[in-house]
Amino acid sequence: MNMDKPLRRVTIFALLLIMALMINVNYIQGSQAESLQTDRLNNRQFLDVFNRPRGKIIAGNLTLAESEESGLSNPKYARNYTKGLIYSPVTGFFAATGGQSKLELAYNSLLDGRDRRITHQRWFDAFIGRAPKGADIYTTIKPKAQERAYEVLKGSTSQRAGAAVIDIRTGAIVVLAGFPSFDPQKVAPQTGTKGGQLLNQLDADKRLKPLLDKAMNDTFFPGSSFKTVVAALAMEQKGLNKNSSVFTGQLLLPESNRPLPNSHDGGACAGQAPLIQAFAESCNTTFAQMALDMGVDELAREAGKFGFGKPIEVEPDLLGQQSDVPVEVTDPQTGEKRKVGRDDTARSGIGQGSVQATPLQMAMTAAAVANKGKIMKPYLVQKVQDGEDQTVFYEARPREFAQPIKEDTADQLKDMMAAVVTSGTATNLRPFNIAGKTGTAETGIGNTNHRWFVGYAPMNNPRYAFAVVTVGPGSAGGTAGPLAGQIMRAVLAE
Amino acid sequence: MTSLPTQLPAKPRKAASLVMLVFAMAVTLAAFAQVGLARDGRIPAGLVGYGGGLAVLAGAAYFVIMRFAPYADPLLLPLAVALNGLGLAMIYRLDLDTSRTRQEAIAAGKKIIADEASAPTQLQWTFVGIFLFALAVVIMRDMQEGDQKFNLTPKTMQRYTYTVGAVAFMLLLLPIVPGLGAEINGARVWIRVGGFSVQPGEFAKLALVVFFAGYLVNKRQALSLVGKKVGPISLPRARDLGPILVIWVMTLGVLFVQKDLGTALLYFGLFVSMLYIATQRGSWVAIGIGLLALGIFIATFIPFLSHVNQRLSIWQDPKPYFQGGCLVDGKVVKTPPDIVDGQIVLDGITKCARLGGKYSDSEQLMQGLFSMGEGGVLGKGLGQGEPWRTPLSFSDFIFTSMGEELGLTGLMVLLLLYGLIVQRGMKTAVDARDPFLKLFAGGVSFVIALQVFIIVGGVTRLIPLTGLTTPFLSQGGSSLMANWILIAILVRMSHDARKPAPQAIQDEGMTQVVSTR
Repeated sequence: MNMDKPLRRVTIFALLLIMALMINVNYIQGSQAESLQTDRLNNRQFLDVFNRPRGKIIAGNLTLAESEESGLSNPKYARNYTKGLIYSPVTGFFAATGGQSKLELAYNSLLDGRDRRITHQRWFDAFIGRAPKGADIYTTIKPKAQERAYEVLKGSTSQRAGAAVIDIRTGAIVVLAGFPSFDPQKVAPQTGTKGGQLLNQLDADKRLKPLLDKAMNDTFFPGSSFKTVVAALAMEQKGLNKNSSVFTGQLLLPESNRPLPNSHDGGACAGQAPLIQAFAESCNTTFAQMALDMGVDELAREAGKFGFGKPIEVEPDLLGQQSDVPVEVTDPQTGEKRKVGRDDTARSGIGQGSVQATPLQMAMTAAAVANKGKIMKPYLVQKVQDGEDQTVFYEARPREFAQPIKEDTADQLKDMMAAVVTSGTATNLRPFNIAGKTGTAETGIGNTNHRWFVGYAPMNNPRYAFAVVTVGPGSAGGTAGPLAGQIMRAVLAE
Repeated sequence: MTSLPTQLPAKPRKAASLVMLVFAMAVTLAAFAQVGLARDGRIPAGLVGYGGGLAVLAGAAYFVIMRFAPYADPLLLPLAVALNGLGLAMIYRLDLDTSRTRQEAIAAGKKIIADEASAPTQLQWTFVGIFLFALAVVIMRDMQEGDQKFNLTPKTMQRYTYTVGAVAFMLLLLPIVPGLGAEINGARVWIRVGGFSVQPGEFAKLALVVFFAGYLVNKRQALSLVGKKVGPISLPRARDLGPILVIWVMTLGVLFVQKDLGTALLYFGLFVSMLYIATQRGSWVAIGIGLLALGIFIATFIPFLSHVNQRLSIWQDPKPYFQGGCLVDGKVVKTPPDIVDGQIVLDGITKCARLGGKYSDSEQLMQGLFSMGEGGVLGKGLGQGEPWRTPLSFSDFIFTSMGEELGLTGLMVLLLLYGLIVQRGMKTAVDARDPFLKLFAGGVSFVIALQVFIIVGGVTRLIPLTGLTTPFLSQGGSSLMANWILIAILVRMSHDARKPAPQAIQDEGMTQVVSTR
């Protein structure tokens, strides 16, 4: 019996094994190399990054972040931030520890020049071994409005405050501001270990969360501003319109039998009123009753259409914190999950209980109202282009995020928001030419009301949707409202 | 497939071999020079020591072959030297970085990393390996002088089939002997002798090939008898299933006791392939693969072997496990360590155990892939990348280190070198005239291919990652010694197979050699 035949077959099999390895290696190094280099988990891209020049981050005619030769051998390049406290929600940081956030992280490969979109156009550079050159990022931010926003937010609270403004027709984010903030300059690569330590300190502050951007990564109780969503649901589901008469009287919570108070029992909130008036004067019982009638599942589903319940993708790898209308809550004592009760459902209807929202999410909600029911996908980067020869590597293309409500519903809600300013809880805002819904969520702890104003501007011909939140004592109309007015004035002037 | 008259009479290929050897040396020396030039801008001092040392050794090996086995395959030695040399250059290059890390660690008063690349040690083992190679070539002298008292040729080993088999099993079991065995990097495949750590499995591999070859030559007639026919497959007789079941149980034992999936896979694959060569029966292969699949399937259900499950899970999607993931109820959750003031108060493993899950980390695998990604098509150039970022970049993951600095181009060369060794070995098997030697040569050649496939496939995520050494490249004495002996065996056999046959009687095996006097 001759063994040559099986030997030859085994030889072929053995060589096939080696060939499989060759094919795999070709796949990894030939076609996957770039995605591996720019993989989010791959910290190599951040390690030697200090020794290469890096693209700029630009807003309008202002350079927010740029790299300059440091004169040191390591890091060879320093990263300089202009008005870091104001723009850190946009730029993020680029730390000595190699850590990054926000655009510095999300657009790292383009800033760094190693992105496929750049290398494909610059293959010859790679071929002759020239180091990749980063491109510049043009953001959608309006610098004057952003600076104004930071200023007014800072003046409004000793705690937290945030504001987001989006262009309703494109989804471009024009203001993304928060307080307290931090200065990325102080943790930049050239600061070395000192920067790293500061970063840890900032990270450890769990109360003010300075590293967290308040406009899209921190959540607040939306309070009455959430009534916009409840009203939308009621109008679409129950066929109500703005003039339908709704219940505005006294309401006892079904489980505890305690009353759910209105802010005032006069005016519209005296028993029965047209929906527009109940909305304008922000009668709690109306919307709590609606929530009870429809149930928390319906409420969560409706909110989900606006974007609640999942992180909002602003840019790839740049996600806004998820806003939530929970249908289940975890019991703090037993750790068990249970369905949200009837009382909490009622409270959810007025944006309290366990409902949480980011300013960005609320601005998107207002955008649906102002833009015929459509929300455009929010974005922060207009284009990416080469600093010298102006080659464009990326350009934003506005697209629809969702249409949560019908055009007709949106138009009626628009009138209802206008009524808030003309005759409701925010008549003090008449000079600002804006419309919106107030929201004052009581957290039960001292003077830490979450005070909101969520709406659109200008009142007659809306172009921008906004949400402003600030934590402190008092009600929304007198606090968040004027902030929004001033911010929108700056936005419209720019 | 008898040899055809077209086959040329074999000639010693001294010049060809020398040219190839010089080329292998030139590549190695250039690699060393490149490391120095890239890092310090000058030829490194190590070039004389490391490169020169290797050159002298390889030269000596060449003369031994020319003197004692002139008809040997001209490519085997240059191929092995090229691989060993490139491995040495890479380890030298990694050593420069890890020794810097070590100095920094000492300066900072931190604990010194136990595992690191060490070029001097690797060079010493290369010395030992090539010395053993030369010694083996000299000892396993021509067979025509056979049957003398102190004669040891590859063929001689057939007589000691079962002794060698017993030795192989003992070597396999050594690491679990208390006091002798040692667990390094989670695998219990080491023993400590004196100051050295030895991996007996590397030598067991060779002994097993001998055992399988001897056993199968005796039994192959019986094993190839046809039993029942089921559809297109003709099954062997039930009573012949015994040996394959024994080997199956043995490899499962390796898996259970040493938790070493790679080695289990290697031995079992080796046995099945040799069984096929001996019997030419595809049904054996089918049965073997079926048993292997069954074994792994069983292993995934045994809680004690949950790491098999994890390996599979990591292989399917390594990302959730990056820097530690915890597998609870089929889902991967993160259990980052609790850190208070820079001190770890509760590590991820404990945290995961409290959740009732199994902790594991894919960082090494991912870093290896990132390392290869960094290399791209042409590589960063020796000394210019950062392959040391991958843990065990100098042993299990030396292949990805090579990938980073030599690029796709370099890796293709390395794989070609392995492919050539396998091909030359298999050719030796085909050329050999004795069934035992055929099986022996075929076995050792296949085991190289399979080992390369398992470890390289593992680090490149073609198959689940299991730890094995990369022949000739990985840092480690046992592996180098065993592989150099393996090459020596192939060199000796190829000489015997290719040299002109003065006596036809040689073909007929040991029993008749007596009459030649």
